[in-house]
Amino acid sequence: MNAPMQTVGYQLPVYPFELPPELREPGAARPRYPVVIIGAGLCGLTAACDLAARGVRAVVLDDDDTIGVRGASSRGIVYAQKTLEIMDRLGLYDQVRGKGVTWSVGKTLAGNDVVYEFDASAQSASRQPPFINLQQFYLEWFLVDRITEIGATDLRWKNKVVDYEQFADHARVVVETPAGNYSLEADWVLDCSGVASLVRDTLKLDTHPARGIDRWCISDVRFKAPLPIERWTWVEAPFNDNRAVWQHLMADDVWRLDFQMDPDCDPEHVSRLDVAAERVRRQVGENVEFELVWVGPYSYRSQLLDQFRVGRTFFLGDSAHVMSPFGARGGNSGIQDADNLGWKLALVLAGEAPEGLLDTYHAERYPAAQFNIMTTRRTSRFLSPESPQEKVFRDAAISLAREYSFARNLVNTGRLSTAYTYAGSPLCGAAAGVTLAPGAAVQNAPITLPDGKAGALADLFRHASAFVGVWLGTPSIAAAEVIRWANQSAPRLRLVQMGQANLGLSRIADREGRLAKALGWDGVTPVFVLMRPDMHLAAALPDPGLAQLKRAYARARGIAL
Amino acid sequence: MKTNPNFTDHDAFYEQLLAAHEGLNEAQSAQLNARLILLLANQIGEQAVLAECVMAARAPFVASSPRQS
Repeated sequence: MNAPMQTVGYQLPVYPFELPPELREPGAARPRYPVVIIGAGLCGLTAACDLAARGVRAVVLDDDDTIGVRGASSRGIVYAQKTLEIMDRLGLYDQVRGKGVTWSVGKTLAGNDVVYEFDASAQSASRQPPFINLQQFYLEWFLVDRITEIGATDLRWKNKVVDYEQFADHARVVVETPAGNYSLEADWVLDCSGVASLVRDTLKLDTHPARGIDRWCISDVRFKAPLPIERWTWVEAPFNDNRAVWQHLMADDVWRLDFQMDPDCDPEHVSRLDVAAERVRRQVGENVEFELVWVGPYSYRSQLLDQFRVGRTFFLGDSAHVMSPFGARGGNSGIQDADNLGWKLALVLAGEAPEGLLDTYHAERYPAAQFNIMTTRRTSRFLSPESPQEKVFRDAAISLAREYSFARNLVNTGRLSTAYTYAGSPLCGAAAGVTLAPGAAVQNAPITLPDGKAGALADLFRHASAFVGVWLGTPSIAAAEVIRWANQSAPRLRLVQMGQANLGLSRIADREGRLAKALGWDGVTPVFVLMRPDMHLAAALPDPGLAQLKRAYARARGIAL
Repeated sequence: MKTNPNFTDHDAFYEQLLAAHEGLNEAQSAQLNARLILLLANQIGEQAVLAECVMAARAPFVASSPRQS
């Protein structure tokens, strides 16, 4: 985006360039780094923070010296529950909640009428709300703070990757800095550098790009108004020539207003500040004082790499997949990419899982990206009918939605991001005794922790890349067998019991019944539930024996038994 | 997808369908049809059945495509 940018009111941190060791002592022998992350955006910082929490020291290279895009753009704003749960596990959720805007109600309007409405809090069993809105750079800022606090990551600002090469057992990265160029070697590289990835282009990988004709213009606007904290989307807004508009509150009283433009408009013209201000004025009325914080035009596009792992290189976030912004699937899916890869890399680097485990990153996240692209395409086709007949069906859906509830579901202004279920993953076995599907994310249910304190499921996952196994109901397995297995598998496998189980393990309690709700457990059937370090369900086994347990645990780590 | 007769009164339905379009211009008729398709589709609901119906409706316009069963 080469939009004129307005930076009213955001004071962003500047991180100093520090001479990297390669330039401090040129010529000195350097060990290969286990992990190098390219790009300190949402994805790269989440990966760095996740790896640091698992004891893996990564080097992060970023070409800028601050967070955000050139310090001004808001970019992503809606952080969905799975992202919030990941931030809880990583220890920065309190900052996100404190700064951001918590919401759960969304309304879709046509003209002046609400034709569709949802409240996502109704189905939730999680400690986290369905959504928090926050300017993307704030989340990045909190991640940098948390990474610095953990102190296990080498964050290198003003380190721009200018060349890349990979070999059978390592990759070589050439880096440009204000103090000169240097190169480093890494066992594994995580390319989180975004849509314009140099690594991807150097390796000549096809992204199958597709562009839409529809044009939009974001106007982030600061004003105070007694509006409900809800997501409002107009399919046909009277104040925008009957085209679509988004209205959404972020931190600092800044509203994200996103206007659908005439497809033939001139992007330069519609993003001029006076033109943008006039558009906002038509929406908010004559009597509301406002200031433009940022204006940026964009159009739809999608990209999808064929392989998310190529040799020693992993592609995460926008370098692997790009989709339209509907449903907040860009940032949230990039964060889930990092969440998926972190524990696998940690186990392989520790020599506790075969390298094949790393291929399951592609096996699990590629279908998630395909799903996201399909979902956002469906929305963009609803919002921007491609033929007169498509417009006829949209008009029919909207007119029916005014009268009948069934048609409200057809009105598609974005299906908001939810955690993707890794159905058919090689790591996930059967799930019986609970209704949650194998590979599905387990919501971060509030529980009473083994020390008697109130907490949530994520609190069991904080250390040592732990899998967590919970016995529900009254199992028939011998306690001595379980204890022996627990001691053998610690600290990677954390075994706990709940309710009637009496296996001599530490005990959690589900006083509010929200863990049972998250799992879809009937409260009676004896079930062993195995959850992966990313809090996805690996297996649920009704009253299993030890051999079955060991098989499921091995499979979840990519180990064939 | 049902292909054997399932109407309780086929002639009455057909007559009512024609009558519903009387006095409408082309755009209004197109709207009526689209509304009716969506209403009827919701009565069926099951995506596999709907997919078969959509493909059967499209069949005459698809060049030499194999019949989906």
